[in-house]
Amino acid sequence: MGNILRKEFKLTASVLSYLFIIFGLMFFLPGYPILCGVFFTTLGIFKSFQNARETNDILFSALLPIAKRDVVKGKYLFVCFIELCSLIIMGFATVMRMTLLSNSYTYKTNSLMNANFFALGLALLIFGLFNLIFVGGFFKTAYKFGKPFFSYIIVCFIIIFIGESLHHFEAFNFLNAFGTDYFYIQLLLLITGIVLYVFITFVSYKKSCKRFENIDL
Amino acid sequence: MNIIEIQNLNKTYKSFELCDISFNVEKGKITGFIGRNGAGKTTTIKSMLNLIHINSGEIFYFGKNLKENETEIKKNIGYSTGYINWYPRKKIKDIVSVVGKFYDTWDEEAYKKYLKLFGLDEEKTAIELSEGMKVKCNLLIALSHKAKVLILDEPTSGLDPFSRDELLEIFKGLKNDGVAVFFSTHIISDIEKCADNIVYIRNGKIIASVTKADFYNTYSKENENLEETILRMERGALDG
Repeated sequence: MGNILRKEFKLTASVLSYLFIIFGLMFFLPGYPILCGVFFTTLGIFKSFQNARETNDILFSALLPIAKRDVVKGKYLFVCFIELCSLIIMGFATVMRMTLLSNSYTYKTNSLMNANFFALGLALLIFGLFNLIFVGGFFKTAYKFGKPFFSYIIVCFIIIFIGESLHHFEAFNFLNAFGTDYFYIQLLLLITGIVLYVFITFVSYKKSCKRFENIDL
Repeated sequence: MNIIEIQNLNKTYKSFELCDISFNVEKGKITGFIGRNGAGKTTTIKSMLNLIHINSGEIFYFGKNLKENETEIKKNIGYSTGYINWYPRKKIKDIVSVVGKFYDTWDEEAYKKYLKLFGLDEEKTAIELSEGMKVKCNLLIALSHKAKVLILDEPTSGLDPFSRDELLEIFKGLKNDGVAVFFSTHIISDIEKCADNIVYIRNGKIIASVTKADFYNTYSKENENLEETILRMERGALDG
């Protein structure tokens, strides 16, 4: 497992995959849809898949003395690593905004989504859907990635739109909680996001293994 | 002793099929796999590497079924192709440092030896290598993990006559070390120069799988060289 992940880091990864982790800092931005940071992180991962295709990485990996499912596992491990790095940054920004910056005028008057546990939960959901739609879609052919990425973009921005809209309805005001307001509900939403991320990624991985096993390279 | 045994391999595509392919590759021998473009050479090789799914048939390496022992078998195979570039912007040493970890049998001394023998500079990227050097680079990796069989898909295509000759000499040297070399080509003179055995494929069917001497005895007319024989056979097939 370590070897295949090492291969991803040393031979396949695009520098942009690492650089775009920084977009997690968008969780600090007021007056901007913060979940776009999630999209930019996935855009960085997309560049590594583009690299993989251009350098014949999949065929090269399939020729290595490993099971085909390990080729898939390597890609998922890499994707999850980048996503989790970005999440750590987002988590840091969220905790800062929930604690030290909770009374900041700029954030209080921000009409867009607040960085809280709900936002992190949604970020996890979007990452999970990226793994399902894009990574899972890529392994249908191990070659075509345009359609899966386009489908992911649509779904991603629908979720961002919903996330940005919901808290404007009175019944959903709690979604935009500041500081430790609605703490337990917020925590529950974060846990839901974690569970969904793990579940969706696992289902996608299993599906991809099956798909990759069945395609002719 | 047979290193590879292909038995009744069938693979069907919409417009092409491999039909009942059977042949063997022997230890310490060079087997030339010949056929015109589109005859089914690459499809056969991809089947041999389990890169595509065959409809029926069996493939054995060292007496073991490929499907059931894929990982173990792949540790003993070296593969190279003349038409695919792996990681063109990466240095040889970076590729090698990753690949070597996958093989328990990786031999750093052998790596240094072949690096020198093939005249390769590990600081170079694949894109900086000539076509012949790229094939040598793949051979370098295969030989450093002590592959017992080399499967080479058109390794000499696109090379100048001098590089081709040099590569064929390397194959002969490997053969003497007990390595089985299986290489496909449509350049008949390459087979004539170095192959011990010939597998001849046409339209997805094996026409002959014999020693080179037997091929001459069976198919060649008087004073005909291998190229003339195969060209005549191909023309005969076209004329029906």
